[in-house]
Amino acid sequence: MSIARFSPFELLLLKSRSQVDTATLLLLAWVLVHRQHISEGQRRRRLTDVSAHFRHGHELTPVMSIAHSQDLQAIQLAAEVLRKECSKERSLSIIHQAISVATDDGALSIANHYILRFLADLLNVAPVTLATLFQELTGAPLSSPEDPSRDAYWQIHDPDYHARKARDAAAAEQKARQEQARAEQHQRQKNEREQHKQQKQQDKQRRQDEARRTREQEQQRKREQTHQQEQEKQRQREQSEREQRSREHYSRQHEHHQQHSRNHYSQQQRPSPPPDRTTRALSVLGLRPGASRIEVRHAYRRMAQLHHPDRFYTKSDQQIALASARFQRIKNAYDYLMKTY
Amino acid sequence: MRDLYQRLAISPEANEQDIKRAVASCHHSVLRQDAESVFAVAERRDVYDTLHGTVSDIGRLRARLGLTHGAHWQGDVANDFSMPPDQAVSRHDELIGRVEHAVSLYNRWRRFRGSWLLITIFATGASVGLALGLTLCLWLMAM
Repeated sequence: MSIARFSPFELLLLKSRSQVDTATLLLLAWVLVHRQHISEGQRRRRLTDVSAHFRHGHELTPVMSIAHSQDLQAIQLAAEVLRKECSKERSLSIIHQAISVATDDGALSIANHYILRFLADLLNVAPVTLATLFQELTGAPLSSPEDPSRDAYWQIHDPDYHARKARDAAAAEQKARQEQARAEQHQRQKNEREQHKQQKQQDKQRRQDEARRTREQEQQRKREQTHQQEQEKQRQREQSEREQRSREHYSRQHEHHQQHSRNHYSQQQRPSPPPDRTTRALSVLGLRPGASRIEVRHAYRRMAQLHHPDRFYTKSDQQIALASARFQRIKNAYDYLMKTY
Repeated sequence: MRDLYQRLAISPEANEQDIKRAVASCHHSVLRQDAESVFAVAERRDVYDTLHGTVSDIGRLRARLGLTHGAHWQGDVANDFSMPPDQAVSRHDELIGRVEHAVSLYNRWRRFRGSWLLITIFATGASVGLALGLTLCLWLMAM
């Protein structure tokens, strides 16, 4: 009877000192893999940060590589372990970690929207609780994910394409207009040539005519010339007006595009955190505003030793839960300060 | 997020001509416009395919874990990406079964190692001796 080989994640799980921690690590790595605009090193560092208080006792590199390979069976196994062995507090703290890992400075990617919701369903976290946690952690409400299967999404997220299209259309229009103008000019030149011919004929006639009609003819020609000049002027005015109009049109379109991209940019920027958040975080660590980075670190170490849940190991569940909530708050404050200081 | 492939009745690996044909023959005007804007540009299709893969993975996971009616799994996604449960095997039970099997094999090996080792050493020694004796006999007879 042959036995199937153990997959890398199964081996990790068997070697691990705490299966829940290993499973949590894999799911957090999965979330990290689906975060956009961060490098591999940043991902690894973030995972190390998160797992500072885990008791897995193995390397993080294999976890990261399993998450990268999108091994569905490993993820399913991790999810089953979590569902079997997670208490309510622990599952809340896992959701907490997943949210912070998914969004600590950038926006939540669409894939992570779905992954977070999957984790919430897995750990029996109600939508209201998830929304509240998300709001508390990121300062922004949990919106419904954007939908790239719709046209509207691409209108917003790929404005360059539409701008390019509009520009092409405008260029084509301008070209057509220029050609029209050239044709008009051609026509005008032809007209002028004909008029010139007529004038020559008239000259001939005049030379043949008697001297008594010369004055009248002179007057008539003058009149004709002034009329022609007026026509010419008007034509020039018309042309300049048309050019002006087309330039305005183009610049308006250009402006529109710029405005569009500006909107896009401002949408990408996250709302800045409230200014008193630093103060609050400092007060959680028992410090006054203006404390240095080293002081923050010392205060965090002291507080972490005082409030670590492992100290309350022998006490009741209630006390352990309270301690872990306190510890989580201290850790959040410290994380926030380390990021912003 | 909707599964455009499913709604257009094509496979996710379909090539561009197939997609174009399917889009052109779609009767729903809004769906047609959306599909056109997604599949018109190669980069957009890549982005969409990546997300499609992830969300179908999640749908498969949910089906295997019995979470297809979760509170967070509703609307278009739930409609399009909920899969029927494939093989209802709990990975964790399977892992435990495998570990048990491996442990029993290991134990059996440990239990039988001492006596079997003696027996095999004796048997190999005896067979080597026999073979040597035989060849010696044959050689002597040939002399």
